[in-house]
Amino acid sequence: MNSSYDFDAIVVGSGITGGWAAKELTEKGLKVLILERGKPLTHGKDYVTEHLEPWKMPFGGRVPRELYKNDYFVQSKCYAFDETTRHFWINDRENPYTTAPDKPFNWHRADVVGGKSLLWGRQVYRWSDLDFEANKKDGHGIDWPIRYKDIKEWYSYVEKFIGVSGQAENLPQLPDSEFLPPMAMNVVEKAVKQKIEAAFPGRIMTIGRCANLTEPLGERGACHYCGPCQRGCSVGAYFSSHSSTLPAAQKTGNITLRANSLVERLEYDPKTQRIAAVNVIDTQTKEKLRFTAKLVFLCGSTFGTLQVLMNSKSDSFPNGLANRSGTLGQYIMDHTDYISALGITTQFSDKYYKGRRPNGIYVPRFRNLSGRDADADFVRGYGFQGMAIPAEWKSTAMQLPGFGADYKRALRKPAAWAMAFVGFGECLPYKDNQVTLDDKLVDRFGLPQLRFEVEYKDNEKRMQKDATKQAVAMLKAAGMPQIIPIGAGEAPGSAIHEMGGARMGKDPKESVLNAHNQAHDISNLFVTDGSCMASSSCVNPSLTFMALTARAASYAVKQLQAGKI
Amino acid sequence: MIRRDILKYIMMTTGVGFSGSLARQVLAGAVPNATSSRPIFDAATSEKVAILAEMIIPKTDTPGAIEASVPKFIEMMVADWYNDQERVIFFNGLAALDMFCEQGFKKPFLKCKPEQQVTALKDAEAQAKSKNVFSMAMGNDIQSKNIDSKTPFFTKIKELTVLGYYTSDVGAQHELSYDPMPMGYEGDYDFNKVGKQWSW
Repeated sequence: MNSSYDFDAIVVGSGITGGWAAKELTEKGLKVLILERGKPLTHGKDYVTEHLEPWKMPFGGRVPRELYKNDYFVQSKCYAFDETTRHFWINDRENPYTTAPDKPFNWHRADVVGGKSLLWGRQVYRWSDLDFEANKKDGHGIDWPIRYKDIKEWYSYVEKFIGVSGQAENLPQLPDSEFLPPMAMNVVEKAVKQKIEAAFPGRIMTIGRCANLTEPLGERGACHYCGPCQRGCSVGAYFSSHSSTLPAAQKTGNITLRANSLVERLEYDPKTQRIAAVNVIDTQTKEKLRFTAKLVFLCGSTFGTLQVLMNSKSDSFPNGLANRSGTLGQYIMDHTDYISALGITTQFSDKYYKGRRPNGIYVPRFRNLSGRDADADFVRGYGFQGMAIPAEWKSTAMQLPGFGADYKRALRKPAAWAMAFVGFGECLPYKDNQVTLDDKLVDRFGLPQLRFEVEYKDNEKRMQKDATKQAVAMLKAAGMPQIIPIGAGEAPGSAIHEMGGARMGKDPKESVLNAHNQAHDISNLFVTDGSCMASSSCVNPSLTFMALTARAASYAVKQLQAGKI
Repeated sequence: MIRRDILKYIMMTTGVGFSGSLARQVLAGAVPNATSSRPIFDAATSEKVAILAEMIIPKTDTPGAIEASVPKFIEMMVADWYNDQERVIFFNGLAALDMFCEQGFKKPFLKCKPEQQVTALKDAEAQAKSKNVFSMAMGNDIQSKNIDSKTPFFTKIKELTVLGYYTSDVGAQHELSYDPMPMGYEGDYDFNKVGKQWSW
């Protein structure tokens, strides 16, 4: 190959998929440049609020309201956003996007090396053929070009490296992972599990499957149960690019990481029909830079990647790079993520817990498993995440009336236990749920802003209604004296499970990527973040993104070595 | 001093670059949670707030609000965290206590006997409830990102006292239990083995 390339490969993004692409490509001997738009961050040293004592929190932990309203009006909606994590997130005022009228969308973004891998919820679940065959069977979206057998070994490969704690259940709709020992359920969860499994044959409640180590793995330490993972973990007890993939890539000596590097566009060379270069804006100096490589992996998160592709128009691709199909930016999905119902009980008032478990419970999908259930007015299904937690002083202090010694004594004890079921519902791929570029609105770098036009439709709404109904029935069966149905939540985007827009498919006329996450028409361009997804399943997607990335990297290197790229 | 530190802190995360050392310095000590940027309470107000805080969280077998520096925390919150609307409700509420005492006991709050002061604060609580804005919502966290500015005086002084006390080192470690490094998870744990809820 031409030795005048700056690098063998360029990876755009250093989050969950970018880290994996960098690890795989460098371990196979490629010289790799990672471009990250966020600020630099050093593992350990920059986790400045890790284990911060409550009495050192400014304002007793109350947040600066004006700043949140003006600068973090989207990001602050996430549970993981507060003064202990704000430095990891993007500033909404400085980095605007737009939405269609009456279609709000919450775009959550990190702004540091490692991306959302620092902040994620760490729940990991495999897809099954129930998911990969869904589009073909019910006709929504296009058929996936792969099946479970194509990705199974890659799930194992990824899981052994990231570390997944969980309990094997041998369920066809939710294949088991390579498990480290499971975390324990608490006394209330155990009681609920026993009662719902007795009342609803075929329905299982299992401990959450999470990328937190229950025993040491390589150089990473086991979880010490301090609680708020999102502040960063110096011992690397949860999977992030910083704890895992970036150190592996650094060990090879083949990696160059450039932070503050916003990718403006990819240059396409019509003569070679390949990506010739990546154009970058340094976010601090505004300097424009250009890097060349044989291979480009786009791992910039679903919408970051779509923005780059759509902004890389050329005479060869007037509607956006790799968009001969016309589907680029369409079929956007995000799970519905609503608290379905809460159950409150004082039955366990003599019981408490020790340690802050960074994990909950999971009720795998039980609806529409073999065809449509007779009583279901929707297709596909949902799973419940959840947990039982005692109501502690922060939420009960102002409910407890009075003041004085009796009040103080009463507040020593938690008030009750609450059992929550949170329904995560599959979102169907709709052509008109889309993102586009708004040429009239540019950001501070002169780039067109992303415009979201995404909404939940009838199937998602009916599914969430059913989730509330089933959650209430399960809490009733569990003997909860007080049950609060909820079934409402934030706008799309809030699950932070955004997917689609550059979907994989068999036919170049209706998809952007092939079965190996390679652009149909551009052999040296791979896209392996959430934008590649042709459907959304109902399970948390990060594990599948990682497995697809490792699989694509392996394929790309083989193709490169065979002279086909 | 604190205001300058907080301004630095705000600039640090909205301006250019992420400076770990600055964030560490500010978050891990340079922001004591009990000193206001400017004195906002006169001597009588300070005394009144200290009495009220100690009435809400008194010294028992563990220290009370005064020993935990809660009065200073309240002054800091009123000076540096409250908005104008909240400040007005707070100061009007203190004045209303005096009016109640003048009417009922013919002397200002500070000159009243402890049981008369209790009567005055109970009246403030009753008024807060009758206005029907006393928070009863499940999960309406005392550190919520969406605090309602319009809550009445009693709610405000109780919230600030409770927040200041239980997030102080005294409240978090002596009145409640603090275990930053549990090293494991036990989900079936007798409450009596710890006897106090966790402060985190």
